Amino acid sequence: MKTCDMVLVGVGGQGIVTLGDLLARAACAADVPIAFVPTKGMAQRGGFVKVEVRLGRAGGGARIQEGRADVIVGMERSEVLKGVRFLRPGAHAVLYDHVWEPTGVMLGVDAYPARDRVLAELSDRAGRVVVLDPERRPRLGGQPAAANIFTLGALSGCAPVREALDPRMIESVVVQRWPKATETNLAAFHAGLQMGREAPDHGFSQFARKAPS
Amino acid sequence: MTGRIMTGNEAVARGALRAGVKVATGYPGTPSTGCIAHLLTLDLPKRHVEWSTNEKVAFEIASGAAWAGHRALCTMKMSGVNVAYDALISIAYSGTNGGLVIYVADDPGVSAGMPEQDSRGFALMSYLPMLEPATPAEAYELVQRAFDVSEVTGAPVFLRTTTAIALGHAEVDAESPRAPAEIEPILEKDITRYTKAGSKICKDQHQASIDRLVRSGEYVQSMGLNRLTLASSEGGTGIVCVGAVNAYLPEALERVSMDAISLLEVRTTVPFPWDETQRLLEHCEQILVLEELEAHAERAVSVAAQQSGFSGAIIGKMNGPLSPIGEVGVTEILAGLNAAGLVLPQGSSESVSQSNAEGVAILPAKRPITVCAGCPHRGTYLAVDAAIQRAGFTKDDVMVTGDIGCTILGMNPPFDLLWNEVSMGSSISLAQGYVHAGVRTPVIATMGDSTFFHGGIPGLVNAIQHQVPMTLVVMDNGWTCMTGMQVNPGTHDGFQGGGRRVDLEAVIRGLGPDHMHVVDPFDLEATTDAVHLGLQSDGVTVVLAQRECAIQSSRRKVRVGTTTIDAEACILCKRCLNVTGCPALQIRESESGSPSMHIDFSQCTGCGLCASFCPTGAITHTVASKESS
Repeated sequence: MKTCDMVLVGVGGQGIVTLGDLLARAACAADVPIAFVPTKGMAQRGGFVKVEVRLGRAGGGARIQEGRADVIVGMERSEVLKGVRFLRPGAHAVLYDHVWEPTGVMLGVDAYPARDRVLAELSDRAGRVVVLDPERRPRLGGQPAAANIFTLGALSGCAPVREALDPRMIESVVVQRWPKATETNLAAFHAGLQMGREAPDHGFSQFARKAPS
Repeated sequence: MTGRIMTGNEAVARGALRAGVKVATGYPGTPSTGCIAHLLTLDLPKRHVEWSTNEKVAFEIASGAAWAGHRALCTMKMSGVNVAYDALISIAYSGTNGGLVIYVADDPGVSAGMPEQDSRGFALMSYLPMLEPATPAEAYELVQRAFDVSEVTGAPVFLRTTTAIALGHAEVDAESPRAPAEIEPILEKDITRYTKAGSKICKDQHQASIDRLVRSGEYVQSMGLNRLTLASSEGGTGIVCVGAVNAYLPEALERVSMDAISLLEVRTTVPFPWDETQRLLEHCEQILVLEELEAHAERAVSVAAQQSGFSGAIIGKMNGPLSPIGEVGVTEILAGLNAAGLVLPQGSSESVSQSNAEGVAILPAKRPITVCAGCPHRGTYLAVDAAIQRAGFTKDDVMVTGDIGCTILGMNPPFDLLWNEVSMGSSISLAQGYVHAGVRTPVIATMGDSTFFHGGIPGLVNAIQHQVPMTLVVMDNGWTCMTGMQVNPGTHDGFQGGGRRVDLEAVIRGLGPDHMHVVDPFDLEATTDAVHLGLQSDGVTVVLAQRECAIQSSRRKVRVGTTTIDAEACILCKRCLNVTGCPALQIRESESGSPSMHIDFSQCTGCGLCASFCPTGAITHTVASKESS
């Protein structure tokens, strides 16, 4: 059985812990051993969130060693940097390129990393980088689809994930979880899945707004 | 697969139900909260489950039920054991009748704050067995074994997890619950066992508790909880691997040759597996001890080595290279294996050229946590700050003691108000010490409602009795929030299950502070006036700031009001953001194309605090016409 270690990072409220839960349900349905652990500090909204997900290892611990993750996912441009130290050489990095500015940045007292430097950091350290433009989320009825399901699709399309867990299993737990939002969630998942699969093996995908300078 | 995905906390809850637990109590605390929280979601006839006022109360309730012959579970985070321990060691000396299990979750690596303490030290001091599972599935099994050990030996028994197990999700084969035993409660009158009033009584109980630990060691050995696997040939390295670390050892060993490795998997540091350790020492040339936090097992191995004349190296934390700080995962295990001279394959050191803590060339943006949008504490902090200024001081002049829970976020920007955080309820007593030390500026203590019920009352009684001039600000939001919104004594009647709300205001008035003001923290003027009066007054002033947690009221669609920003009138001075730090305030481009402040209506509850600070009147606030909180 293939193993796949994933580290998902972002900000509380983006639905990252939900992604861990969906992957766990899908793995359970597919008979793939799963362990995951969320790290979110305190209950308040807006803080750093990390979820470690491990597929294919029975009875092991949920923590992933630094330098050993097969895939990292960042759902916020600055927070993705906190996942970089987990990347193994050649690993996949997925960035949902949303900016959630902390108050100190809005006030001009704290720095926010420049986009080209974040992308350069990812491309230096990952074998493959998929950058998802939030504007490319499918829109149904005028509303953009859920960012976390869009990102989940892209994650599911990355080779280490889809070789360990069939994306169709992930898709079916998404449908089961929100039966009233099937259409919009499937659109988001499939759009992400295609981007996750088709991004070039090296460097940046075409799903970025622009390549790093 | 037949199991389902659950957390370690839920696995403990389900294991306890399988074991026929009758009474389950606890106080919320990350990472242990999920156990009682899960039980409270279930319909459990003939059982009693509760969030208690504090861990000591919780433990005493569980102990009463166990003395009466039933199986009882008590849950807490590691800090809770500090609170419960006064009762715990006393009951440990008396022993128990029904199975009594204390579930404690330690937090190595500190995911949630508070001292990085190792609860195994408490088990050592009270001669209580402590079972240490490595995964959620083991937690499910071992909580059941813990009840068995307790009933067979008469000792209360700890079950200890760590954060990655308690909050970790994995598949667990949980069987259906078993009903509590149908027994008549035991009413045993025996002052030599159940009291401490007498030298002989206490010394006999001391001996009895030692004897129970010896019996526990024999029983644990008979169950094979600590597994010894000796290498086929003598010599080589023996690994003593404790509790949580066992989940990561196979992964690390995949990267070294296993030939000459013998392994003792320890699931009870207390009682320590002396026989298995002796056999390991006889078999091996050197020992590597892998354990999280303190070197408890390593010290025991050293004692065993001294007794048996073992002269090989014992590698662990006492002489390096491993550290008592933080979690132990594959990286730390590999460092231990490396120190033991086991050759690691190329590249396994994962030497990443790190330029900062994140190992990246650029730093992520700082993201200090603050209170949620709409949090009533925001109003209280702003009012305390304003009152300090009105009294002619700055917040760097005035000692404001902090306490446990969401209220401690007053230490962070933009408030920067709190100076310290010690333990539940300590803000009031700490403040008194500062007053007695002769601090010339006013002294203010701050605390939340659940913390006040938990540990604040004795400190306030003391302040009133000794007439200490100080101001206590109690921020009553009706819930225990930092751990995820649990019911506490002051929570509205509608959420009390079969219980009833305790009136926090009446409790405080009953203690008789010299001055008392009850305010709405969203009424900045009234709250500032109240705190300011306290700073001017002799004796003890209590300011009770009452307003429900914004998360909880939002869940019930209760709106405080409506706040809107006129983008055309906004001059982007950012004063609203600078003063309140509210996460619902954002800078966006308006329709005209120029940036201005905007409100994220998915977060805003319409508290209107930002409107009070707008110099141009661009922010308007209307109070909801029909407010029900």
